[in-house]
Amino acid sequence: MSSPTFKPCAETRRHRFAAACRPGAWAATAFVSLFATFASAQEVDPRFLLQPTTDSWPTYHGDYTGRRHSPLKQITPDNVRQMTLAWAFNTGQSQPIKGTPIVVNGTLYLTAPDKIWAIDARTGRQLWQHTHPTNTAFHIGHRGAAVRGDLVYLTTPDCQLVALDARTGKPRWTVEIADAKRGYWCTNAPLIVRNHLLVGVSGDFDNLPGILRAFDPETGKPQWTFYSTPPAGTANSISGGATGGQMWMTGTYDPELNLVYVGTGNPTPVLNGPVRPGDNKWTNSILAINPDNGELRWGFQNTPHDTHDWDAAEVPVLVDAPFAGKPRKLLLQAARNGYYFVLDRVTGKSLLTTPFARANWAKGVDDEGRPIPIVDKEPARDGRLVSPDESGGTNYRSPSFDPATGTLIVSAHDAYGIYFFKPEHGDTGWAGADYGIHGKGILRALDYQTGAVRWSHDLHGGVGAAGVLTTASGVIFTGDSTGNAMALRTTDGKTLWHSGIGRVGNSPMTYELDGRQFVLFGGGSVLYAFGLLPAEGKN
Amino acid sequence: MPRPSLVPLLATALAGICLSPTLRAAETAAPSQASPASVPRPTTVVAQEFPAAQVDAGRVLFGAQCGFCHGRDAFGGETGPDLTRSTLVASDVRGDKLAPHLRAGRIEKGMPAFTLPDDDIAALVAYIHEQKKRADSAVGGRRAVDPSDLQTGNAAAGQRYFANACARCHSPTGDLAGVATRHVGLPLLRRMLYPTPGGRDDPSRVPQTVRVTLGNGQVVTGKLAHRDEFTIALLDERGWTRSWSTDRVKFTVDDPLEAHVEQLAKYTDSDMHDVLAYLQTLR
Repeated sequence: MSSPTFKPCAETRRHRFAAACRPGAWAATAFVSLFATFASAQEVDPRFLLQPTTDSWPTYHGDYTGRRHSPLKQITPDNVRQMTLAWAFNTGQSQPIKGTPIVVNGTLYLTAPDKIWAIDARTGRQLWQHTHPTNTAFHIGHRGAAVRGDLVYLTTPDCQLVALDARTGKPRWTVEIADAKRGYWCTNAPLIVRNHLLVGVSGDFDNLPGILRAFDPETGKPQWTFYSTPPAGTANSISGGATGGQMWMTGTYDPELNLVYVGTGNPTPVLNGPVRPGDNKWTNSILAINPDNGELRWGFQNTPHDTHDWDAAEVPVLVDAPFAGKPRKLLLQAARNGYYFVLDRVTGKSLLTTPFARANWAKGVDDEGRPIPIVDKEPARDGRLVSPDESGGTNYRSPSFDPATGTLIVSAHDAYGIYFFKPEHGDTGWAGADYGIHGKGILRALDYQTGAVRWSHDLHGGVGAAGVLTTASGVIFTGDSTGNAMALRTTDGKTLWHSGIGRVGNSPMTYELDGRQFVLFGGGSVLYAFGLLPAEGKN
Repeated sequence: MPRPSLVPLLATALAGICLSPTLRAAETAAPSQASPASVPRPTTVVAQEFPAAQVDAGRVLFGAQCGFCHGRDAFGGETGPDLTRSTLVASDVRGDKLAPHLRAGRIEKGMPAFTLPDDDIAALVAYIHEQKKRADSAVGGRRAVDPSDLQTGNAAAGQRYFANACARCHSPTGDLAGVATRHVGLPLLRRMLYPTPGGRDDPSRVPQTVRVTLGNGQVVTGKLAHRDEFTIALLDERGWTRSWSTDRVKFTVDDPLEAHVEQLAKYTDSDMHDVLAYLQTLR
């Protein structure tokens, strides 16, 4: 295993306890004392990732469940009004921040296409940065890094996996994930599961099979490749000739079942349905995969024969909770096709399918819990008015599950688009044309057992870009559609705090250091860290 | 998602021909069309040649920075317009219009401001012009929606539908008189469904008007400039922007386009094609 690399325990622990004694920091004390003993060394090993401490956010989703729910309680509905800027870090990029930073051992890792920065998580001071060589692949966005031991991992637009020394940023090794010349690109934040590093790619503009790959995190040696669709031209393909189904979002993991859950993207050609008859498995599906060998345990397709670009790549959120009176291992997903799905994640069987955003493309739900597409809503020569539009009822922006209220908080989008396809559009890549007509962004709190909307919060504009974070104190952190970071009360969605930092384009995260809870939002291309003011006389 | 616009000058072609009863041609530029494939590609004003090396450098940059939205070939992508059909590109001479546009971006549409060195900007300009040349010499448009594709409706049925659903705000002899001579094909369909294809922030949007009552009882009215949960802003009659915290004033917003949003949930596809067929008779 990797060598311990981080700061001396004694000093970290002393600071932490000192901080916990400060007025105003009392709420953090419980967690600090619980975790300080082993958190202080903070070697990011498989055991640590199973039970991350509150002074870290060591993976894209914060933990393996994808719930984006933090046990931190220092910032509460009562005091969040006093939350103020602790520091800001300007990436200097044209593009907004779309990823979630990770934090281990007091260091924050932030990414953008071809870029990674290591930043002091207390102060926002840059420790090092690394720039990947210029390349021609799409630079559309980047979700984040992964860390294990003394290595931090960056995926690049041209589908390279770069392992860097987490302390210095010095590259250790680089391996190819996929051939970018064929049209693959990569935005993915890798998922570490024990001695496997899982990474997926993107590729909608060419007919490319969907691949998820595992690498040895220490050496970069390839371990396995899972295909969600077989290479184009494969005989007797279960996909009906479709390619695509890219697994471009970071999955979640159940260590007891030893299953990784990942959503697959849309089929290609994207809007041309006739050329790829049938359901097109396993596109637009939630898959359970054995991380040790890449074998599919089960699959659930949430849009059979998609013709509208509605990836099922949205976060599969893992929750252990009663369903219809019986304790279950659940998987919740609010999907881009506008439907909310609850599955038994042991078997992959559907427990609930119900819309959470406007959707006019299905005529019902089949016996397996899959919406039944209306054939007449497939893209056509003269155009079809379809809800949701291409950007979907939601998208990659993360939802959050709040256990106290039993709600999944989702950034929803009620939208219409028009979809065109004619044979002249061909059978490669997009193969059609579609246009958004109108959309409205709304945050919705869904009852996890019924999908009923407990409350809604208008995001005042079109589609939102911000994901959602909840904390155990009953606060939601997110952003609106126009340019405000916001804190809302989890019980009813009431606004408690806001700051006009620019449009929040990532999913917020939180951690505590020295007894101070930080909440981070990307506003445009700047990363903002907010917290309560430290007590007078302290830094 | 980004809906970048390189085509504010599309105004000259499409100026002020919105379905709205209130928008006037002089008021503002017409919005971008994501891929106005049903209008002829505008002619480049000045033929321009670029060194092959510069075009190649531009291809690399374009693919990485612009390709996801505009397509690797600049012929239009997932969310961005076909640049070979852009009037801005057609009117550009060696970057005199494109370069400032790239540097400024269209932030509200999701197009970032590019902070690139002059050489890179020049390379992007060279590549875009080269692709336009290529498109001009090619036959057909692979992502095109042609006006002839849209002729499946029944104008008589559309007229009946119009009388019930649209006539409250629109008149075939008033605001919509001759609409089919100003718009054809996809742009007409998109404007029919929602008259501001650029969305809420489109400068050609039919103005929402707002009436703000201040704490002292004074009333201020104007065009809505911004609204979110925390701030209401308007343009007053002298063109000044005035803004207030929403918790300090009372206000009402009149948005004539809300009726179009409601209508989206009511149209069947054949209603939509019928109404389009009817609008096409208004010449």
